[in-house]
Amino acid sequence: MANDLYFEDVNVGDQMPALSKGPILKLQHVLYAGASGDFNPLHTDDDFARAVGMKDGVITHGMLVMGFVGQAVTSWVPKRCLKNLSVRFAGMTRPGNTITITGAVTEKRQEASGNIITCDVVARDEAGDVKIMGRFSAALPSRQG
Amino acid sequence: MADATKTGKEFAPIVWEVERGKIREMAKAIGDPNPVYLEMEAAMKEGYRDIPAPPTFLTVPMMWSSSMPVLINDLKINFMMVLHGEEEYEFYREIYPGDTITGIPKVVSVEEKTSKTGGKMDMITVEILYKNQNDEKVAKARTLMVERK
Repeated sequence: MANDLYFEDVNVGDQMPALSKGPILKLQHVLYAGASGDFNPLHTDDDFARAVGMKDGVITHGMLVMGFVGQAVTSWVPKRCLKNLSVRFAGMTRPGNTITITGAVTEKRQEASGNIITCDVVARDEAGDVKIMGRFSAALPSRQG
Repeated sequence: MADATKTGKEFAPIVWEVERGKIREMAKAIGDPNPVYLEMEAAMKEGYRDIPAPPTFLTVPMMWSSSMPVLINDLKINFMMVLHGEEEYEFYREIYPGDTITGIPKVVSVEEKTSKTGGKMDMITVEILYKNQNDEKVAKARTLMVERK
């Protein structure tokens, strides 16, 4: 495969390549609503959002920001190697924000199911405010076959 | 407040036919240029048999099936006060175009918690195990909803 990442080449403390996304446009909320089927007007209608207490209008779909995390992760570790991905939504994202996803390897182990790495990931906006704290595990191929 | 007596309840199955166009649309909405999600040839070069569903694709069957609003109503959760707290996926097999995946949403827990500022919240956890047309497990999604009271 073209972009194989091998278990032997990854060490605890290694950084995942960072990915920056944005600035987020309201248009992207409309695209994501259509793609995902999440038509909650909180994400697309400023008047509705203000009426439910968001004084600055619409907020970004949390799952779109998780989608950015998925992009960052599977740009580094192929999708077929990904075993799990979990996130906690720590803050609201708004149009105009630029989200940067970083990550680091926290654990590396060999077990029956394969050569497993675990990484922590964080998504922050341009001010450094945390939007997502997450974690993923992946089973990587070995150079020993 | 959320109806804790519904813990353990299973809801109507979500049945979803996976299409190549919908996978591409999801990747484009995220702005993910990874060719494995867009072009069959690029995906096959990487060892997939077609373009695989990206990691957060399971939002599509859940939201388009309107499964979540049905569950929220049934649990008497105030839709205006609910936030998405956590999302977790376990991946067992790739989901490909042409697959028909079926998931049964199940309420696994309803717990009341008190926030640092003293506000009461209900934490509602829902799991959906998805299988494909061959009855193979493909993925599990776990969603934590937080209802402020």
